[in-house]
Amino acid sequence: MTARIVMKLKVKAARLATPSVLHLTLVHPTRPALPAWEPGAHVDLRLPDGKIRQYSLCGDPQDLSAYEIAVKREDAGRGASLWAHQALVEGATAHVSAPRNNFPIREATRHVFVLGGIGVTPGLSMVRKLRAEGAHVAVHFCARSAAEAPLLAELSAACGDRLATWFSSEGRRFDPAAVGPYAAGSVLYVCGPGRLLQAVRDAAGALGWPDESVHAEAFQATLDENFKPEPFEAKLASTGATLHVPADRSLLDVLREHGVTMPSSCELGVCGSCVCGYTEGVVIHRDAAISTADRQDRIAPCVSRARVSVTLDL
Amino acid sequence: MRDDDQRHDAIPDAGVDRPAPKMIEAFEHAAGSIARHVTGGATGFKGALLHIHVAPAASYEMEELQEAHCVAGRGIVGDRYYDGTGTYSPKPDTREVTLIEQEALDALSRNDPPLQGGAIALAAGDHRRNLTVRGVPLNHLVGRRFRVGEVILRGGRLNFPCKYLEELLGLPVYLPLYNRSGLNAGIERGGVIRPGDAIELLDDA
Repeated sequence: MTARIVMKLKVKAARLATPSVLHLTLVHPTRPALPAWEPGAHVDLRLPDGKIRQYSLCGDPQDLSAYEIAVKREDAGRGASLWAHQALVEGATAHVSAPRNNFPIREATRHVFVLGGIGVTPGLSMVRKLRAEGAHVAVHFCARSAAEAPLLAELSAACGDRLATWFSSEGRRFDPAAVGPYAAGSVLYVCGPGRLLQAVRDAAGALGWPDESVHAEAFQATLDENFKPEPFEAKLASTGATLHVPADRSLLDVLREHGVTMPSSCELGVCGSCVCGYTEGVVIHRDAAISTADRQDRIAPCVSRARVSVTLDL
Repeated sequence: MRDDDQRHDAIPDAGVDRPAPKMIEAFEHAAGSIARHVTGGATGFKGALLHIHVAPAASYEMEELQEAHCVAGRGIVGDRYYDGTGTYSPKPDTREVTLIEQEALDALSRNDPPLQGGAIALAAGDHRRNLTVRGVPLNHLVGRRFRVGEVILRGGRLNFPCKYLEELLGLPVYLPLYNRSGLNAGIERGGVIRPGDAIELLDDA
């Protein structure tokens, strides 16, 4: 868990990888080398309104002269991807954080991937590295059609004969049982929409894969598409107590669990009932209740989180 | 000493879009207020301003300026602490301008003293201080008035390296910067500064 520098990168190339996926090559205006990253890592893209979206790096980690990300246009999303598709043309500036990796390659003797649509992005760099190291890899890539499968050519090149494609428009809908029975030392990585994750988890369970051998990263338009919650520490100014907020729990939940009485209502960041003050820390505001001016010292603990740590005025 | 009403800003309309963040006036700071009444320190130096850097918001990379507008009681136009968007902005302190000695950065780059694995060469601005200066004994300037070109600054407290910087850079700079991380200053008289400006102690200090 570390704070990350935000850089104003230049769009060196912008092309449509599929009709709905924008593939961007980003370079630093002055530094020859960008911060290093490991396959599976993502960067934060800062939007003009201060919101943050996260995108997996899909280029070559050995080449630090540029970052590559792919942005799927979500017409029903909240506008971030539409903004990116419209604004991030060649020569434009993108505010991008240094990378962080929440989805690293695991120690294993066999690596099985199920990648759905835009979920190909972390998988691509992971497969490239594993194949370069001579690891045993099997990759399932699911999309509606070859034309709608982002970075298919790159993935094919990385996988060679280890790639199975599943294009539903051609009558080959992905069968989660294709991951096969569990063998000791195997790991299963699943990246894609939530329903694919669930289907693969269910099938893998039935095929004997232990829970800890299955690693998933959701790519889905939700309340905040592309947002990947990360763990952080919350300090209470009154008692000095430090509470750990895991990635899968809200700050509000953790506060209540530790006996802090908090009012709340919608728990969606809309009503503002649970808003409280904070005195230190970098807060990731995800609510729609607090004005920009008040975000300097107010936080909505039902949906908002912090980078590394936050001190709450409680 | 000057009162607030004698301050003047180079850019009267600067910062109209954001409220001025709370600042602790340098000579009212816990450190500056004591040092103000303790005599001593280097006096005859004549240093120079080498670089000016600002960051548009918390965590953003520093950007170099060829000239900067300093606003009394507030900061450098375009910097995160001027706008109140810095990592530490919610905690009022003396942060209108921060300075660091080029000599301290030179020491880091020769691993002197050898506090870490090896030499640390920070790229310009990566120390995240606003002004890089040469020939200015910053540790002597708490509680002192000094000028940078036409701008008058007041030393409020010694700067302190933060773990946040270490995290942002991914470099172990915390210990090597300890006690030479520079100075947090207030702006008594605003104006425009440029690299090459002379830096001198003012006679009433």
